[in-house]
Amino acid sequence: MKTDKLSFRTENREGLTVIYLSGELDLEVASQMRTTMEPLVELADRKLVLNLKDLKYIDSTGIGILIGIVKARHARQAPFAVEEVSDHIRKLFDMTGISPFLDSARA
Amino acid sequence: MVTDNNVKLTVPAQPEFVDLVRLTLFGLATKLKFSYEEIEDMKVAVSEACNNAVLHAYQGTGGHIDIEFGWIGEEELQITIRDHGESFQAPEASRTSNLHGKSIEEIQSGGLGLYLMQALMDRVELNTENGTAVTLTKRRTAPETV
Repeated sequence: MKTDKLSFRTENREGLTVIYLSGELDLEVASQMRTTMEPLVELADRKLVLNLKDLKYIDSTGIGILIGIVKARHARQAPFAVEEVSDHIRKLFDMTGISPFLDSARA
Repeated sequence: MVTDNNVKLTVPAQPEFVDLVRLTLFGLATKLKFSYEEIEDMKVAVSEACNNAVLHAYQGTGGHIDIEFGWIGEEELQITIRDHGESFQAPEASRTSNLHGKSIEEIQSGGLGLYLMQALMDRVELNTENGTAVTLTKRRTAPETV
């Protein structure tokens, strides 16, 4: 069963890469998300931002991927942030305790 | 669960069917007049239980997940997610953990699923006889009267 439940749009500005996530980030699309993010996480001289305005759903699978990105960016001393997080997803970030790690690089 | 009005759904224990469980839950909970926020909470909790079954129950050999929705009294939705595979022994599935107070080196994703189930639902019960059954209960706040 092939679905387009999660889509990505990348925008490059000077020194900054913004990835717009749209759809649902769950177990079904976890490997797609990891594969897409992998090369972007490596770009240590750019700031990386995930825009979650159109993300409709996330669970611990997706939060686990964000933890991986946070750690990988930290290891490269490279900035990372999320932006435009909906209230419900913000609640999940606050509950799990990942929030402080997502806002540290906010410009 | 005691009533004859229970709704049952059986799906293959594969990642691409977990959203079908969420859609069913959304339909039923909307019909029962749960609030948007309560429904969003339940969608995550039920998915976490299904994810555990998909990842840990059948060790890649295939199998099904049975989901049963029951309406208890006038105010509680009870959802049981049951598999017939290995009982909830995988440490990453039976541990509860969060990231609060941890350093960037210490944070990891293990235990977040069960933690979220407990944080988002009013009750979480685990039964590990003949597979794993997770029973999640959510109380409905009184629907707004117009």
